[in-house]
Amino acid sequence: MHVLLIEDDELVGSGIRSGLEIAGFTVDWVGTAADARLSLAGLASDVVVLDLGLPDADGLTLLRDWRAQGQTVPVLVLTARDAVADRVAGLQTGADDYLLKPFDLDELGARLQALLRRAAGRASPVIEHGGLRVDPGNRRVWRDQHEIELTRREFMLLEKLLHARGGIVSVEQLNDSLYGLDSPVESNAVNVHVHHLRRKLGSTLVRTVRGLGYRLGAADAGGDAGTP
Amino acid sequence: MSLRRRLLLILGVSFCVLWALAAAWLYSDLRDQMRATLDQRLAASARMVAGLIAQLPEDAWNQAGAPVLSTPQSTGVACQISSSRGQVLMRTHGRLAGELDTPAPGFTDRVIDGQRWRLFTFVQNGLHITTADRLAERAALQRNVIVVAVVPFVVALLGSLIALWLGIRRGLGPLARLHAELSRRDPDMLTPVEIGDAPAELRPAIDTLNALLLRTGEALTREQRFTSDAAHELRTPLTAIKTHVQLASRLPTDQAGDALASAEAGIARLQRTLEQLLTLARIEAGSPISETESVASAQIVAAALADLPARERVEVHAPARESLEVALPRELAAAALRNLLENALRHTPDGAAVELTVCAQPERVLFNVSDRGDWPPTQSTQQLTQRFWRQRHSAGHVQGSGLGLTIVAAIAARFGGSLELQPREGGGLAACFAVPRVSPV
Repeated sequence: MHVLLIEDDELVGSGIRSGLEIAGFTVDWVGTAADARLSLAGLASDVVVLDLGLPDADGLTLLRDWRAQGQTVPVLVLTARDAVADRVAGLQTGADDYLLKPFDLDELGARLQALLRRAAGRASPVIEHGGLRVDPGNRRVWRDQHEIELTRREFMLLEKLLHARGGIVSVEQLNDSLYGLDSPVESNAVNVHVHHLRRKLGSTLVRTVRGLGYRLGAADAGGDAGTP
Repeated sequence: MSLRRRLLLILGVSFCVLWALAAAWLYSDLRDQMRATLDQRLAASARMVAGLIAQLPEDAWNQAGAPVLSTPQSTGVACQISSSRGQVLMRTHGRLAGELDTPAPGFTDRVIDGQRWRLFTFVQNGLHITTADRLAERAALQRNVIVVAVVPFVVALLGSLIALWLGIRRGLGPLARLHAELSRRDPDMLTPVEIGDAPAELRPAIDTLNALLLRTGEALTREQRFTSDAAHELRTPLTAIKTHVQLASRLPTDQAGDALASAEAGIARLQRTLEQLLTLARIEAGSPISETESVASAQIVAAALADLPARERVEVHAPARESLEVALPRELAAAALRNLLENALRHTPDGAAVELTVCAQPERVLFNVSDRGDWPPTQSTQQLTQRFWRQRHSAGHVQGSGLGLTIVAAIAARFGGSLELQPREGGGLAACFAVPRVSPV
């Protein structure tokens, strides 16, 4: 899943990015509110981590603007200010969660997973889809009680499709989720991962919607997956 | 005891005592006057009778065997005329027969028939003329007079007590409102006190109180902001340290080094911020710093440059031969100058020089630090020396603690110097740190 990290402190930002990448997120990191606006306008981010003390604008202003524009992406606010008034202001402005610095990397990862889960309308941390069981927090997949090994990108692809709950996910959105802004993407990179996922989890799991993208199919074998 | 009760008590008791004394005085005066007046009446009656008798022929009394005139018992003045031989020639008040006999001339008191009488006897041509009246009648008359005099007196006293109570209540109204206003307030409430028509005596107290509240409020806001800023400044490097240490434990050994180096950078920053905060706290709290020390300007410059990174970029222009002594402890003077130089270097693009000029004035020594840095052009000295103000710049810049200029300003203020920051023509900042000079003796 794609995380847009907005943090102006060099050391903190680099640490969070590396930590979230280890936890299996695709992270794009920007240091200013202006860059954040551009990134969120151009990227299909699944969740935003927002530091409130930004050099060019207050983080809450940014958040208020986004919510006013109808932006529904879940936002986790990071701040070093612990006054209750600050926290209340953050949540009232439209933040979905609030984490006080310094925090634990595991906690940040878990909270982001929880935000994604709530955004997809799920209550359980483990996703069941037919004979498929997926644990995004620990990045493990079982098919009919047998654990399947997936690569990092394959898992991201599966996670994104599950998150869309059968909705169509465009190739651009998949690119954003898998690679973010910085990684140069070969035109057929997503196709390759889709191909591998079908081979490991069954050909019907990923359905191609011509000209639009992909969507989640039945987890059981059988039926035509179409040509990617 | 409340002010109102105290005033009421003092004034009320004084009123009552004064009025009571006045009443006692009046009473005794009135009694004496009445006694004198009634005595005069007795004497005047006797003399009038004597005057009338003198008009009669000498032998008028000789035929009289019994009292000539005898009226029944009645109130008022009684009268009896008797000859020198004791024979009663004429009397009023028949029942008093014999009782008025042979009194000595002048005033006497006598009890007749259980009643007290006052008598006056006048002697003329061998005739004794005695007049008398009852003391009980006198007392009744006196009582009537006193009642007539006392009733308005008491009414006036009560009236003045009520007026006193109302006046005090009304006069102390602003105080009561102030009391109510103050007891209604939350202890943390710092809004000005307003009680409407405050009298001139109370105005200064309220104004002082409001000024104090205002100052307290400002100080509180400043402290809250400082605490919040300090928390932010300490938590941010702490977050960096914690995050990178956690990263190091999750990364393969060969990649963990970078994370640890970042953690160390975070520790260095935390340490610097802490040290600056402590320095600032020591300077602002006025904890013991030797005030009498003085140091040569050349020593300050040397100490400031000694451990400055990139000190080769600092161009020093200082008078070589002249020794300029400044009244400042060496460590603090060096710390201040070092902070200025660090700031200038931090804001100046790599490679560009920073100028340090030392010059002397009769009273002061000036340390001028000029750079061509990327300072915002419109910042005032006050803004730049605010605690935790720091220039927001693009990522990748080395950040200061946000306390450097604050510390310089605090040192300058503590030792009677000054810090002025001026934007330079063509970009950059000129900082002038002026400290008092010790005049060469």
